[in-house]
Amino acid sequence: MSQMTNLVPGPAPRNGRSMVGAIAGSQYLLAIVSIAVFFAIWQLVSMNVPPIILPAPAQVITAFVQLTASGELVRATAQTVWPFAVGLSIAFVVGTAVGLLLGIFRPAARLLDPYIFVFWSIPNIAWLPLFIAWFGVGTLTLVIFVFVSAVFPQLLTVEAGAKEADSFLVEVARSLGGSKREILHVVVLPSALPYIFAGLRIAVGRALVGIIVGQLLIVATGIGYMFQFYGETLSLAKYFAPLIVIAALAVLLNRAVNWAEHFFVPWKQRAFT
Amino acid sequence: MPELAIVNARKNYRSPRGDNLLALADFSLTIGGGRFVTVVGPSGCGKTTLLRMVGGLISADAGEIRLDGAPLTAPSPKMSMVFQGIGLMPWKTIEGNVALGIQLQAHRRTLTAKEADRVEATLGMVGLQGFEHYYPHQLSGGMQQRVGLARALVRQPEILLMDEPFGALDAQTRAVLQDELLNLWGRVKSTVLFITHDLDEAIYLSDLVIIMSRRPGRIKQVLEVNLPQPRYSYDARAEKEFARLRSVAWQSIKEEL
Repeated sequence: MSQMTNLVPGPAPRNGRSMVGAIAGSQYLLAIVSIAVFFAIWQLVSMNVPPIILPAPAQVITAFVQLTASGELVRATAQTVWPFAVGLSIAFVVGTAVGLLLGIFRPAARLLDPYIFVFWSIPNIAWLPLFIAWFGVGTLTLVIFVFVSAVFPQLLTVEAGAKEADSFLVEVARSLGGSKREILHVVVLPSALPYIFAGLRIAVGRALVGIIVGQLLIVATGIGYMFQFYGETLSLAKYFAPLIVIAALAVLLNRAVNWAEHFFVPWKQRAFT
Repeated sequence: MPELAIVNARKNYRSPRGDNLLALADFSLTIGGGRFVTVVGPSGCGKTTLLRMVGGLISADAGEIRLDGAPLTAPSPKMSMVFQGIGLMPWKTIEGNVALGIQLQAHRRTLTAKEADRVEATLGMVGLQGFEHYYPHQLSGGMQQRVGLARALVRQPEILLMDEPFGALDAQTRAVLQDELLNLWGRVKSTVLFITHDLDEAIYLSDLVIIMSRRPGRIKQVLEVNLPQPRYSYDARAEKEFARLRSVAWQSIKEEL
């Protein structure tokens, strides 16, 4: 026996993604069937109620095409996406940085946690009149409102993640000779990484609410204003167009976060994929 | 030859209610010379406290630990620890986890070419060639502990500290790893301080078995195991001497339960 019995690796497992192709195929089939049934029910119901309650799918699609062709929907989407992206990005960076700081550096947490908790507990909407008074009616106020909506979930989730570092792993790193700085790098930051994405998932949702509410109540532009305008004028077919844009945006962003998480957190065990 | 001396070590724990719990009292032991020394004792006798103290993870309330004559107050680069809970970093591959043993020892993030080769060689030694890019959760418990062993050995330690490393494994895996540990020990020539509550394991592996008293832990009895090494080359457990030693050790430990 010159060395330990060598174990032979099997085919490299890739986090349980060895799903059989047939199942993936049937999942697509299921999705198509589901969508078809949805439209069929929608059509059926719309035939039996006045269009002012529920327009038919065809009417909605026509309105969507019209609003896109006229440029209104595209312009509104741009007006919405920019302040949303800027506010969310700043919230992500600030929330992650401050969250890590508070999670790692306990005195800072003791100092700031009460304030953060109070600010976070106040419903966002209550800030709006104040922000308008301070920053006027414009894009700046919108960006700040999106930022405030998204920064707290990001910050608090990341802070919790940084505090979550396994004390046993810290001890192992210490026994290997790790300094405080090295332990931060080797144990604490990697254990906080999944929480950065968990926070982002919540922040995206909150930021979306923020931008719509902001546009509805402050600046009267973008997707938020389209909701207000077509809602009040009872043009229900047109009302659905911005709804579709927001839904698409939400789905897209969620996918992007999932993808980024798969990429940056490859070690995470997933029960279902 | 490296020498590890534990001199009158004492450790007291104070509970939040203010009660004192003396875990270890005036414990003295000197080991070295590439010997395999195992400490056994009833649960709660302070074995793990002893090892954590030697590993520099906790300090002694009185007395001291000396490594090659110098007092030891922090984890030493000349030692490696293997834990029952293993403690692999889930976000590092097997290779990354083993490399960490060197990185934290040398306080460098990058490995020299020589060190990278040593990581590969050590993985081969513990039988994990081909698993370099796996993540810990993709490996069985026994394989994970092989990684734990590789992470310790890659540091080329003078002293290897092992805290019930096979305690969480099933009986067969445990027997296999015991043999492979003896084989590795024969090659690396480190001094080993091994903690277990399993008498058979203690006698099978060691040159010297230290039996501890119940809390506060003191040395109760020292047994020399004179069965020839390497013990996996014959059925050491079937030897008369093995049975005799186990009986002596059991009598001694029974009084402490």
